[in-house]
Amino acid sequence: MLQEESDLSLVIAQIVQKLKGSNLYAQLERQAWASLQRPEIKLESLKEDIKEFFKISGWEKKLQNAVYSELSVFPLPSHPAAPPEHLKEPLVYMRKAQGSWEKRILKSLNSMCTELSIPLARKRPVGEQKELLNKWNEMGTDEPDLSLFRPVYAPKDFLEVLINLRNPNYENGDSLSFRTHLGLIQVPLKVKDIPELKEFFVELGLTTGQLGIDDSTQVPPELFENEHVRIGQKVLAEQDSAAAQQYIRQGSPTALRAELWALILNISSQPEDILYYEQLKTNVIQHDLLVDSLIYKDVKLTASNDDYYFVFEDYLYQVLLCFSRDTSVLGHFAYNSASPPKSYIRGKLGLEEYAVFYPPNGVIPFHGFSMYVAPLCFLYHEPSKLYQIFREMYVRFFFRLHSISSHPSGIVSLCLLFETLLQTYLPQLFYHLREIGAQPLRISFKWMVRAFSGYLATDQLLLLWDRILGYNSLEILADCPKSIVP
Amino acid sequence: MSRVSVPCHVKGTVALQVGDVRTSQGRPGVLVIDVTFPSVAPFELQEIMFKNYYTAFLSIRVRQHTSPHTPAKWVTCLRDYCLMPDPHSEEGAQEYVSLFKHQSPSMTFPKWLSHPVPCEQPAPLIEGLPDPSRVSSEVQQMWALTEMIRASHTSTRIGRFDVDGCYDLNLLSYT
Repeated sequence: MLQEESDLSLVIAQIVQKLKGSNLYAQLERQAWASLQRPEIKLESLKEDIKEFFKISGWEKKLQNAVYSELSVFPLPSHPAAPPEHLKEPLVYMRKAQGSWEKRILKSLNSMCTELSIPLARKRPVGEQKELLNKWNEMGTDEPDLSLFRPVYAPKDFLEVLINLRNPNYENGDSLSFRTHLGLIQVPLKVKDIPELKEFFVELGLTTGQLGIDDSTQVPPELFENEHVRIGQKVLAEQDSAAAQQYIRQGSPTALRAELWALILNISSQPEDILYYEQLKTNVIQHDLLVDSLIYKDVKLTASNDDYYFVFEDYLYQVLLCFSRDTSVLGHFAYNSASPPKSYIRGKLGLEEYAVFYPPNGVIPFHGFSMYVAPLCFLYHEPSKLYQIFREMYVRFFFRLHSISSHPSGIVSLCLLFETLLQTYLPQLFYHLREIGAQPLRISFKWMVRAFSGYLATDQLLLLWDRILGYNSLEILADCPKSIVP
Repeated sequence: MSRVSVPCHVKGTVALQVGDVRTSQGRPGVLVIDVTFPSVAPFELQEIMFKNYYTAFLSIRVRQHTSPHTPAKWVTCLRDYCLMPDPHSEEGAQEYVSLFKHQSPSMTFPKWLSHPVPCEQPAPLIEGLPDPSRVSSEVQQMWALTEMIRASHTSTRIGRFDVDGCYDLNLLSYT
């Protein structure tokens, strides 16, 4: 078979393999068996009749959404000779930089552990478990002494690492030339130029209606808003993920946003999902992790102090503490340049059968991490659904904002894209800021790392995150600061 | 189809440069790598596989012996095949690459096709979608193979992070 066809077959085989272990597969099997009772299913044309039944009953659409979701999240199968680390990050020097950064984080966490004489993890005594269960819905009222804990790192520490990234094969030269990059990022990643951005974000052009602009009070709703809402309702009725993703590029009406995001992220709260969340809650009750204190501290320092989000403090604990225990998150490390930290059961150092990941989900929160969850609290009030949405947003998008990779949506590319755009659009401003020692990236970096959460008003933030979902890319974050900086 | 890798000897790179290498300031933009095949038995070359390291364009020339009487001839199999769309950026810089024999426009390599194959442009996806039932039967063949390999492997996680109920840990390890 031709190369393109064998590539396609490989993609199909990979997706089928992934879906085989999913709830949807079990449901489809059950539905197929149950459909045999139906009069229209005939033995001679069994395969075709069942396929027709799936189409009419909406199960084919669910399968379509699941396949679309897999295609959006997982990278295409790479060359057969490429080892797994190549899939995580193809450039060797970036992998090394990520490895060194991770080692620094681990050392920091270990030293916090030894200094404070607090174990990484411990089983809670029964009394403490009961107490926590009782105040599960109001953990915010707790005021533990967190003065000795410090965040493992802050965005500005991470920025220093990115600034020092160098490609050993790239010679900048000492003399300034037209090729010298005047910004802080010194690695030659490919970023989209303005014609490419215009093409990529074509729905954001001046001639296309946008929510957030064309639905303001001065604009009569008949011009754009009414029709856009009507189309949104139709998309939801069809339950089509791909259509929803296309639709949301022009922004989502507030009333439809929660459902649209769930459709795009392919989240439907099944009983199994609620059970899974309850299991995670049990894990939180049973084991206390050092990481929990980091989460408490982060929430107290950031979201609790924010005018928009302080009301959601309890939700944030309920989501983030469970998130740390969720081993299904480990799956995303296949395409994340980062790797989960490892540890051994006490007394069994070096024995592989006693090796575990810490925290169970492999993600160590940094200062501001809870702000990824906070805006979602405006959309979802049921804890297990809120949890699912956040988890999916993290493994699709947010992880790229705090790991070193060459991916076009990775934070390094976003920084370079921002600096390049600013130099192109506002060269005098860029040059002036550089001259006074205020490199623009130092100002905008923390906005991008947090995906603007806490830096934009919530309604604007949600419109921005609409576009992240719509374009399946974080590049919009690099485009945004350019409008704010002047 | 059974494929085996052919033992070959890859020599060090030689820069193509005008003038004296030692005194010249400029960096050569073209390097040559010689690959020889020590085995004498003839074989049919299907695929050349390698990992790129910042090479933008690749040309492959082959020296073939058509008959014992005529001297060996150099033939270009591939000219300026693009590995990096933008040589000044990282795209494609460290990728794994496979070159297949059907990509070579005019080969007269001894054991390859006897007539030249026209260079194929990859068809745009909209026009070139393969027949679904044919693809599905090919997938089933591949499926049988992967199923054999992954007989006991399930892709769903069981969800336990502890070992026999214990999650009492040492410090984090650095390896």
